Amino acid sequence: MRELSAQLQPLWPLAAYFLAVLLLVLFILGVSHLLGERHRERATGEPFESGIVHIGDTHIRFSTPYFLMAILFVIFDLEAAFIYAYAISFRASGWTGYVEILVFILILLAALVYLWRLGGLDWGPKGQARKRLAPLQGHSRVLEGEAPPTRPNRE
Amino acid sequence: MTADALFSLLPLILLALTAVGLVLLIGFYRNLQLSFALAMGGLLLALVSLLPVAGVLPQQATPLLIMDSYALFFSGLTLVTALLLLPLCHEHWRRQTSLNDEFYLLFLLAVMGALVLVASNHFVSLFLGLELLSLPLVIMVGYPFKPGFTPSLEAAVKYLVLSGAASAMLLFGIALIYLHSGTLAFAPLEPGLIRLPGPQNPLLLTGLILALAGIAFKLSLVPFHFWTPDVYQGAPLPATALLATLAKGALFALLLRFYLLSEGYLIGPLVWALTLIAIASMLAGNLLALLQDNLKRLLAYSSIGHFGYLLVALLAVSQSLGTALAVEAVSYYLVAYLFSTLAAFAVLVRLSGEDREAETLEDCRGLFWRHPWLATTLTLAMLSLAGIPLTIGFVGKFYIFAAAVEESLWLVLLVVVIASGIGLFYYLRVILMMTHQDAGPESDEASAPHWSSHTVTGILVAATLWFGVYPAPLITLIRHLTLAVN
Amino acid sequence: MLSWLITLLLGGGLLAAGLGRLHPQAARWVALAVLGLALLWLLPLLGRATGGPWQPGEGAWLLLEQHAWIPRFGIQLLLGLDGLSLLLLLLTLVLGLVAVAASWWEIEQQEGFYYANLLWSLAGVVGVFTALDLFLFFFFWEVMLIPMYFLIGIWGHEARHYAAIKFFIYTQASSLLMLVGILGLAFLHQQEQGSYSFSYFDLLGSGDRSPHGFWLMLGFFIAFVVKLPAFPLHTWLPDAHTQAPTAGSIILAGVLLKTGAYGLIRFLIPLFPDSLTSFGPIAMGLGVAGILYAAVVAFAQTDLKRLIAYTSISHMGFVLLGVYAWNSLALQGAVLQMLTHGLSSAALFMLAGALQQRLHTRELSRMGGLWRYAPRIGFIALFFAMASLGMPGLGNFVAEFLVLAGSFQVNLPMTLIAALGLITAAVYALIMIQKAFHGPAPSAPALVDFDRREVTAMAVMMLGLLWMGLYPQPLIDSLGPVLDQLQRTAAVSLETVHWSQR
Repeated sequence: MRELSAQLQPLWPLAAYFLAVLLLVLFILGVSHLLGERHRERATGEPFESGIVHIGDTHIRFSTPYFLMAILFVIFDLEAAFIYAYAISFRASGWTGYVEILVFILILLAALVYLWRLGGLDWGPKGQARKRLAPLQGHSRVLEGEAPPTRPNRE
Repeated sequence: MTADALFSLLPLILLALTAVGLVLLIGFYRNLQLSFALAMGGLLLALVSLLPVAGVLPQQATPLLIMDSYALFFSGLTLVTALLLLPLCHEHWRRQTSLNDEFYLLFLLAVMGALVLVASNHFVSLFLGLELLSLPLVIMVGYPFKPGFTPSLEAAVKYLVLSGAASAMLLFGIALIYLHSGTLAFAPLEPGLIRLPGPQNPLLLTGLILALAGIAFKLSLVPFHFWTPDVYQGAPLPATALLATLAKGALFALLLRFYLLSEGYLIGPLVWALTLIAIASMLAGNLLALLQDNLKRLLAYSSIGHFGYLLVALLAVSQSLGTALAVEAVSYYLVAYLFSTLAAFAVLVRLSGEDREAETLEDCRGLFWRHPWLATTLTLAMLSLAGIPLTIGFVGKFYIFAAAVEESLWLVLLVVVIASGIGLFYYLRVILMMTHQDAGPESDEASAPHWSSHTVTGILVAATLWFGVYPAPLITLIRHLTLAVN
Repeated sequence: MLSWLITLLLGGGLLAAGLGRLHPQAARWVALAVLGLALLWLLPLLGRATGGPWQPGEGAWLLLEQHAWIPRFGIQLLLGLDGLSLLLLLLTLVLGLVAVAASWWEIEQQEGFYYANLLWSLAGVVGVFTALDLFLFFFFWEVMLIPMYFLIGIWGHEARHYAAIKFFIYTQASSLLMLVGILGLAFLHQQEQGSYSFSYFDLLGSGDRSPHGFWLMLGFFIAFVVKLPAFPLHTWLPDAHTQAPTAGSIILAGVLLKTGAYGLIRFLIPLFPDSLTSFGPIAMGLGVAGILYAAVVAFAQTDLKRLIAYTSISHMGFVLLGVYAWNSLALQGAVLQMLTHGLSSAALFMLAGALQQRLHTRELSRMGGLWRYAPRIGFIALFFAMASLGMPGLGNFVAEFLVLAGSFQVNLPMTLIAALGLITAAVYALIMIQKAFHGPAPSAPALVDFDRREVTAMAVMMLGLLWMGLYPQPLIDSLGPVLDQLQRTAAVSLETVHWSQR
């Protein structure tokens, strides 16, 4: 028993921290419950929409380029993990490492330029309408049975 | 890493630079002709760079890659294959109006993967190379042949899922092998062992079998072949050709190196597994090909059979003098297989029109009288695949026989004979179809072919005949380069 | 020298294909010229071959040619010509000319490619008859198949595709077994001498020293008897002969079958002399079975070409019998049988082809009484039917007599049964004449008799048969030293084997 408590001894700050978080959340909820206004009117039960009463249907289609987001995530977020790894061994890897990470970043940059030129970075309906050149788009037109954009006749 | 070691990676570096350049080019100025020229230039430069690289060999460039003469030979082979294949891709895509420049980019990446594979002597670079090869392939397989053409998408999904499963198996296998040997580099698995019949480390065996399954999947060996015909059929012709030639060739070169370096031939169960796979592949591949009316599927099954033959040569590797002959046999047969298969695909690409691919036997009906040269090319390709003299395939088949006879592998040799006999049947069927007197469907070449695909067809025909009649120079080259594998 | 002959034929084929695209008529003239040229080039050698006198121990080679080819395996371009090869080459070229004559008006489509295939096939055959490197031999063995496959598959009759594929698969699969045999010998040489060799001279008699000798021999044997063909492996032949165009049948029956017999004489027994005693009786039994079986089956045929095809099998049974008897008489008889059968069967196939072209049928039941309309065809048919049944005075008689006389010394019962074949031959040959040329005609056919071109071709073959029947001595003289040499080689290696076993 004593051994167990001895083992648990170093963990007490963690437990305290956990408890503190719980208390803080309870405190905030409690205070707002006590101090907050309380009234029932026409729009009170509606979902909060910046205080504006909503009109019309909620089933509006937004152009959300998930695919684009995924690609951007892969290129800029996931790859950044490699740079973290480099940062740790910054001194140890020396100039060779520096050159290598430079090459890595340059290749990422080339990919970014490619995306930018294809209009992959244009967010929202307006931008996409302007530069729909590439097969790289928010939704697969092939899947939906549409014709991909055609290339102007080269020859 | 020394400067020489870095220099020995020149082909890879050049290809990588080309790929990045191509990304930027496509971004700023989208022109299919220009992209093609850039990709060709990069490949050509990489091929030429092998000459100076040959002077600094062998080099262990990082623990992952080894540039020895074996890698040099297969790098050369890979690059030559790529150089022959790319014009065919161009022939195919220039007929389409959709935007396909990225295909060349993916092509370059796949070639890089193949180059990594042939120079790999480490499990990590094996996996890296394999994925660098497979992932672009998935996308290439999925390229729609024309707007709204969905079979390629189905093929891509199938390939993606199964390829992922195979990679997972391979990884698990590698992990188990690592558990046993404690290193990820290719090294003798059972040092000092002289083929024990008794039970061996079950973990190692499980690992080897799993890794073998993963590789067998990518090589589409029986019983891991089920994806092959569907993917071959669904993918656009250039992707199919790439899958059938470059991807498989590079992987087999790696398999041979692994088998030699890990002394896998000392591990009885592994040899048995390989024997069974070889026999099953030869028989199933050739038997199932009999039923096909679609040329792409036919070539898919025939490639299964051919990798069965290659495994026979692999099996001829042993401690005794068999090694040298077996390595030569694999190398020569790979060259023969690559050239003949490429020739077959070249004809298919040339026969395809703007709105449909030539892929059925019917498309070949009466070809001899419509396009004598294309028909001659396809005939040579078929004869070569069947292993008939005057073609390069015969010398390859001869090598397989020689390697097997030297090691007294009588059982598999008998299967080779039977499978070759069956194989004749469907190869000849294609040739007979071309000799039909009544003219076939009007699937003539839609437009005048690009000069580069003309050249490629000519080179393939010349090589098939030349190395079939006078193989001595190629044999000398192979002996000079590939025997230094250890 | 010999390689130039092969190159001439191959190049002639290319030329025919090329010119045929420009002008269809040109191809056959090219073929004629090339074959004539080759024949002219060979004829002077015949004088040297028959001239003798041969000194014992002197090599019987008239020409020998040697170049390096694939040094990795010790493979050479080793070509040699002796009396045996020379006679077979002459047969090949004469029948090549006959084949061109037979297809002069018959072939109307893609003539360039047709004559090219004809010439290429003959080039392969010439290679087979002269190659002395086993790899080279195998190479030509296969080379002659592909053009023949095209000849049957493209210009054949109604079931041509089936026949072509069957022909190819039989011969190809069996020749792969031979390749295993060849490799087995080469590796044996490598184990004994330290280097690979496919040379005939290096490998003589070595088969008996191999632990797997019997199986290697069987590989060779199957390849050769499929081609011959001998009894259980003959089923490709009736289809191929029936469906091939006339020239294809002529080349197949007249020349290609002889390559099998040639292989047995030149390669199999000298390489595996032991097989004479261990395997000889079985092979002779197969030969005898083939003689009788094929004769009986021929009797039951209603298709003229099929009938002739079965007679071929029957006649080649005599060759198998003679080869495995392996004494001077029997061997001379076997080689003579190859030559005479080459001429007589080629002539019969040309007749059948001519009839089919005129009557549009090969069914015997739809012929009859043709003699009245075409006496020349009738007479010539009677002549060759007589030759085929072995009438004295014609070459076939001499050949069969020699074979029987030779095998009589070796195996009496077999010889007696084989002699029955002479009777059955008379039955089928006479039935054929009876059905086609006598009796009532089913309808008055619009039959045109042979023209000058056809009569000339036929006359050449008739003269040949008469010559071989009346005065075969020059041929036997030119064969003598070769056959003696072969027998000596086999005997020497037999002795050494037995000595070493003792």
